[in-house]
Amino acid sequence: MADGAGVIEVEHLTKRFRRATAVDDLSFSVPRGRITGFLGPNGAGKTTTLRVLLGLALPTSGRASVAGRRYRELDAPLQTVGAVLEASNYHPARSGRSHLRVLATAAGISPSRVDQVLGKVELSGAAKRRVGGYSLGMRQRLSVAAALLGEPELLVLDEPANGLDPEGIRWLRNFLRSFADGGGTVFVSSHVLAEVSQLADEVVIIHRGKLVAHEPVADLVAQAVGATRVRSPRAAALLERLRVVGIEAEADGDRLAVHAPPERVGDLAAEAGIPLHELVADTGSLEEAFLELTAEPQA
Amino acid sequence: MNALRAELLKAVTTRLLLWLGLGLLAFLLLVLSIHIGSENPDGLGELSRQRSTFAFGGLAAVVAVLLGAILVTAEYAHGTINQSFLAVPVRGRLLAAKLGGALLVAFVLALLADAATLVISELWYSGRGLSLHLGRDTLAPFLGAVGASMLAAGIGVGLGAVFRRQTGAIVAILLWLLIGEGAISAAGDTARYAPGRALAAVVAAHSRGSTDMLAVWPAAVVGFLYVAIFCGAGFLVVIGSDVPGSGD
Repeated sequence: MADGAGVIEVEHLTKRFRRATAVDDLSFSVPRGRITGFLGPNGAGKTTTLRVLLGLALPTSGRASVAGRRYRELDAPLQTVGAVLEASNYHPARSGRSHLRVLATAAGISPSRVDQVLGKVELSGAAKRRVGGYSLGMRQRLSVAAALLGEPELLVLDEPANGLDPEGIRWLRNFLRSFADGGGTVFVSSHVLAEVSQLADEVVIIHRGKLVAHEPVADLVAQAVGATRVRSPRAAALLERLRVVGIEAEADGDRLAVHAPPERVGDLAAEAGIPLHELVADTGSLEEAFLELTAEPQA
Repeated sequence: MNALRAELLKAVTTRLLLWLGLGLLAFLLLVLSIHIGSENPDGLGELSRQRSTFAFGGLAAVVAVLLGAILVTAEYAHGTINQSFLAVPVRGRLLAAKLGGALLVAFVLALLADAATLVISELWYSGRGLSLHLGRDTLAPFLGAVGASMLAAGIGVGLGAVFRRQTGAIVAILLWLLIGEGAISAAGDTARYAPGRALAAVVAAHSRGSTDMLAVWPAAVVGFLYVAIFCGAGFLVVIGSDVPGSGD
């Protein structure tokens, strides 16, 4: 792979299913050594993009590559990319250890890695149990174990927090953070925005199969329009004044949430001689940025 | 080689083979008991009758075609095909490994069926005061059962790849065996070339053909052609299509 190029490269990728276009001329690059969130509303094309990337779906046009090559061209795929897809991809009658042994054998990985990764995801005690008896959280951990078998430097995860309880989510977050701290690259799709905002360094946001943003989380949050919290003994008068100049605001007793920067709100209040007891700028959030970027146009 | 070893590991880490093996054993016990128990002693003494008794080992081919289909369709049914293609992303290589694994498993299954047929037959014959003649003429169907089972497993892998849905593949196989093979009899001599008839001819292992059954080697060639056709079609379907998954 050329220096400076992303470890994942998606170039003009389009994927159509009969008449529906799931991914539409999508291009982005995931840098090495960072955690990149992959966001989009349901049906945006996240899973389809990941499946094309991993060679499980065929692109209609364009290209998706890992370390400069299509997935099927990788000499040692499990040693290059660890993938966590659906937590239901198991034979229920096979034990967790047997499941991993099959994968390790197919990929030419030493069987001793099986017990190592089971220990890493804290499943050693359940290794001999059938996967059909595992909880969703245990199956998700087994998915992570499978992804770690080949000691890859890149993890690709599709909605890994789905169905996990808070403890499981915390475990996953800590695990991914430590993986990235060790120099690994993580590309994780999720609809749990709070998780991504805590975890990711940058995000790729798609909507209707198209790229709408690819920026560091901090930059995206900074751009999001936050509300200004105001408290005034003459809140009703201030609300009326704001509406006259076309600024939206919601009132709750003597408090207002105003959709305008604090400087503008303060100036208007001063001009009208309205005293303010509180004027606070609420910072934007990833959720606000996401909702702005993926908002449907008004009919 | 790694992919083939993984396919064999998949086959032995579930109870599929155990249940299929036990089912085959029970079926052999039933049909051999009816066949030998209801025949008069004079008939049982004839070499041709013993040869046809040993041909019951060929029932392993019925199990083998189902086994071949299940080895492919079970991966789709449980979603493990995703993980399999992540580990072995060159789809043709994974399917070839599945074919190789199915042939090896069918080989072992047929040997066990032959052994069970021999033991059950010996018990019945000795119980009726008769002895089995074990010679080249009477034992040929045992080799035929092994060959037919391997060919059947290959056909099953191809059908499994074509259908990919487990229920669809199994229903199609059973409908063909129970209805299709009978219906095709109306085609006269040509019916000898139907898959079931061809594999039955491999089991019977006659050096000369007749109007309703091919000789062993032409039958083996026809069986091999069926394997090539079904596997060719199935592999093209799998290589040229998306692996099913959920999500957006």
